[in-house]
Amino acid sequence: MSLVSWRSPFGFALSLVAVLVIAYIIGPLIVIVGSSVGGAGYLSFPPEGFSLQWYSKLIREPLYLNGFLTSLRIASTVTLLSLLIGIPAAYALAYRGFRGASTLVSIFLSPLMLPSLVLAVALTIFFSHWPLTTGNNRLVLAHLIICIPCVLRVTIPAFQRLDPALEEAALNLGATPLKAFLLVTLPVVKSGFAAAGALAFIMSFDEFDMALFLSDPAQMPLTVVLYTKAQLAFDPTLAAAASSLILMMLVLMILVQIVRMLRG
Amino acid sequence: MKKAGPIILMVAPVAIILIGLFLMPQFYLFRQSISLPPPVGIDTYLQFFSERFYLDMLGRTFLVAGLVTLICILCGFPLALWLARIETRFVPLLLLITTFPLLVSAVVRSFAWMVLFFRNGLLSQTMAATGLVSPGFQFMGTTAGVVIALGQVMLPLMIITLYSVLRTIDRDLENAAMNLGASPWSTTWLVIVPQMKGGILAGSLLVFSLSVGAFATPSLIGGSRVNMMAIGIQEQALELFDWPFAAAMAMILLAAALIIAVVYGRIISEQSHEPR
Repeated sequence: MSLVSWRSPFGFALSLVAVLVIAYIIGPLIVIVGSSVGGAGYLSFPPEGFSLQWYSKLIREPLYLNGFLTSLRIASTVTLLSLLIGIPAAYALAYRGFRGASTLVSIFLSPLMLPSLVLAVALTIFFSHWPLTTGNNRLVLAHLIICIPCVLRVTIPAFQRLDPALEEAALNLGATPLKAFLLVTLPVVKSGFAAAGALAFIMSFDEFDMALFLSDPAQMPLTVVLYTKAQLAFDPTLAAAASSLILMMLVLMILVQIVRMLRG
Repeated sequence: MKKAGPIILMVAPVAIILIGLFLMPQFYLFRQSISLPPPVGIDTYLQFFSERFYLDMLGRTFLVAGLVTLICILCGFPLALWLARIETRFVPLLLLITTFPLLVSAVVRSFAWMVLFFRNGLLSQTMAATGLVSPGFQFMGTTAGVVIALGQVMLPLMIITLYSVLRTIDRDLENAAMNLGASPWSTTWLVIVPQMKGGILAGSLLVFSLSVGAFATPSLIGGSRVNMMAIGIQEQALELFDWPFAAAMAMILLAAALIIAVVYGRIISEQSHEPR
């Protein structure tokens, strides 16, 4: 006998609620994609007719494309730096002989607990005292504060699952530490690296609070472009831009799933 | 083999970045918040706690975060239970569908609600047709609108938390209850919910603390008509350029978030040490 059975009133009620909640979660995304292909001169759902008029307008608007490229550039830099800085630290923190590692980890993860708007205000004030760098480089530094902890959170467990005997065996058989890492450790943990990189990229690409405060007004990241445009008037071009981003993330997710399935 | 030297070298960059770009900025934030009257004073805090407007703002922020957390528990628990117990091969697909919105920026997700919430939007029209609200009502600029939209933004986080707990709890207990004749309702209430307390608390802490500081959704849906801390901080800083006051408000929000985290953390650890 199962808790969730279609025949029992409980199972039926639970299934109904579950379907409604799924509609609540995913419905708005369907609505915006649907309304972006409408043929009317305004946003409507269900869409009246079908046309890609807002998408062709979107492509001709350089502000969106520039925003997209800026976001892409920032997120790639942040991802690369977070991995380069985070992975060695994760390797050390996962090492069993390292006393106090768990305390350090919880300190290192603390930036994720704070509202990013507070970090944004604090960093803006900080950079006005210490002009370390200018333009969107400030935003890259800001994103590192939340993306490095994310990399740590994903890669530390990946290193911990690794059997330390493997690496020791390689070292005892005469491999240099670098060779042991590249040939023995890396193949086991590389899917953890990929997951950490994807997470850091998405966090930086989607991030808005710090971007609003710290980005270069002449080269705004996409989230800031979208926000600024929506403050003026919510036109259908924005729906097309939002839908493009939703579809892009959907394609990314499907690709990740295909890769995962091919690996078995 | 592994010595202290290399370990320190590997951890040092993270420590330096977090000290330089996380701790130091917070010190400067605090310093800025106590800069009026110069050189050191607490005028900003006195102003905040003496004006009704700002106290309402703090109260409304907590109200919204509380309601969002409630929505996430009420919607998240049934869905997580259903996903964890239903026997179909579509569960992985359904999980992907429920967590997919997390990949999309909160700005974009709030746009979706704007389309629904405008006066001629689908939701407003449907609700006016059923007589729930007067014609011409719109959710834009209302607290209700912010709660509905922010609830949808936070819900996947609650579902992930609850689902992972539901997968680990012992199913023999609920099967035993069912075999002994308990109805599914009482099995859920008396067997599953008590084992889920820790998970529900952890999910609530996550959702509540993120909702207290959320900015994109309240700003796009509520705007300046919904009096919330995050919106107030942004207005003080980027529109009025009153950085000392913005810093003080940020410190108050920070303190509120930390207090909640500590209180919740204590409740959760008491829960887990409770003898069964």
